[in-house]
Amino acid sequence: METNIWQEVLEFFQTMGFMQMGADFLGTGWQQLVMLLISFFLLYLAIKKQYEPLLLLPIAFGMLLTNLPGAGMFHSELWSAFLDPQSPAYHSYGAILKEGGLLDVLYIGVKAGVYPCLIFIGVGAMTDFGPLIANPKSLLLGAAAQIGIFLTFLCANALGFSEAQAGSIGIIGGADGPTSIFLTSRLAPELLGPIAIAAYSYMALVPVIQPPIMRALTTKKERAIKMKQLRSVSKTEKIVFPIMVTTVVALILPDAAPLIGCLMLGNLMKECGVVDRLSKTAQNELMNIVVIFLGLSVGATATGASFLNLKTIMILAMGIVAFGCGSAGGVLLVKVMNLFTKEKMNPLIGSAGVSAVPMAARVSQQVGQEENPGNFLLMHAMGPNVAGVIGSAVAAGILLSMLG
Amino acid sequence: MILLATNWSHVWMVTLLGFGLVFLLLVVLIYVLKLFGLIMHPRVKVENPQDVHKSVGTQRKETSEKISLTGQATAAIAMALHLYYNGVHDEEPTQVTIKKVERRYSPWNSKLYGMNNLHRD
Repeated sequence: METNIWQEVLEFFQTMGFMQMGADFLGTGWQQLVMLLISFFLLYLAIKKQYEPLLLLPIAFGMLLTNLPGAGMFHSELWSAFLDPQSPAYHSYGAILKEGGLLDVLYIGVKAGVYPCLIFIGVGAMTDFGPLIANPKSLLLGAAAQIGIFLTFLCANALGFSEAQAGSIGIIGGADGPTSIFLTSRLAPELLGPIAIAAYSYMALVPVIQPPIMRALTTKKERAIKMKQLRSVSKTEKIVFPIMVTTVVALILPDAAPLIGCLMLGNLMKECGVVDRLSKTAQNELMNIVVIFLGLSVGATATGASFLNLKTIMILAMGIVAFGCGSAGGVLLVKVMNLFTKEKMNPLIGSAGVSAVPMAARVSQQVGQEENPGNFLLMHAMGPNVAGVIGSAVAAGILLSMLG
Repeated sequence: MILLATNWSHVWMVTLLGFGLVFLLLVVLIYVLKLFGLIMHPRVKVENPQDVHKSVGTQRKETSEKISLTGQATAAIAMALHLYYNGVHDEEPTQVTIKKVERRYSPWNSKLYGMNNLHRD
């Protein structure tokens, strides 16, 4: 009897996470410990520094859960088998449901590309495309800011990443979290954790990264330029806009249809005014639920083996290059456009072309007011800002069609 | 070795064609939007600036004759604008509550010293 009790106690001790971590400390144990420390740091950034807390907090907590030894909430080996054509579990969601943990089940939504699209419905329902309709030239700035994506694609190829991986790394320059996750889950799912963390971290750091670039590329006189007030946009224009954009973009680039379609569906629900309940649900309940699922499951992919390597550091470094190049691209295009147009634009609104709504537009407003306190650039910057969302979704569609 | 292993012709093709396509698609959207704006929001015909000046001058004379604000009204408008833009205007909480309001004790509101007590005696 006594022996049995001791055996039970011993078995219990062996199931403890501490024991499992210690048993193979030189193998995977140290990686799990480091990942737990990283998750604590990210939680600190989300809670104390409030860096994109709505997403960084679930991502960091997902990272914490997945790296707890013995908890069995996420099984990266199941997902490797899911992608292996030789495995009997190839593309079998049944195997995942049968053998997976909670985070495996939640991750199906990422793998199937469902969550980013649902988030885009919410984003659309919260976005006002009025400034873009009033000033269609803003779309050019949204396009120019995507140069960061393609320059980083080149750099990543030069550093030895495959083309699919390079495309996923480049999309960080779009500064659009859901788009980055959507494209990476299709092209390079093995890099999902580092890319999602890089994308959301840099989006949170927009007020730190962009102003030095904006000041370096513009003169005081340019930063003080006042822009003409935008024309008013009628309700009918706002209603027809999402229908028209979806039709035009999806007919030209079908691969961009899921993201653009969902974005415009959310916007149509907001603007038409007859489905207020749906619009409010998309903006609040739907968005919040999906953000929790997306954050947790993306964080879960950041296991020690996949995260603690040189590739992650390279991804983080290239992400910031992508972001900086995108910001610079927008500013420089406004300067070029100013050479040919009568009505001068303030180059500061160009940097807002890198999506990151509405943070990037706020930064343009803030830097503009430093030079001229009476200058209100916010609404002018919102045009390129929402154009950036469309631009990055289009760029993702193009990369998917060429590399997928 | 890595640089040699990469299919650079394809990489450059994706880069240039990809970025070009993003631009092209958004330029198409610009023209579609402009066309859309012309249909939905036709421009108001702009008058010749000289004619506008003349008409504005005559209108000003007419309006200055018609509208005559008193000094008090002007001061009230100026004060309202000042309060609004400087955030000086006090805002009511606009909350309806059924909570009991506690009054602090003071001999001035004490029933002991009220007139009714004297009558009861």
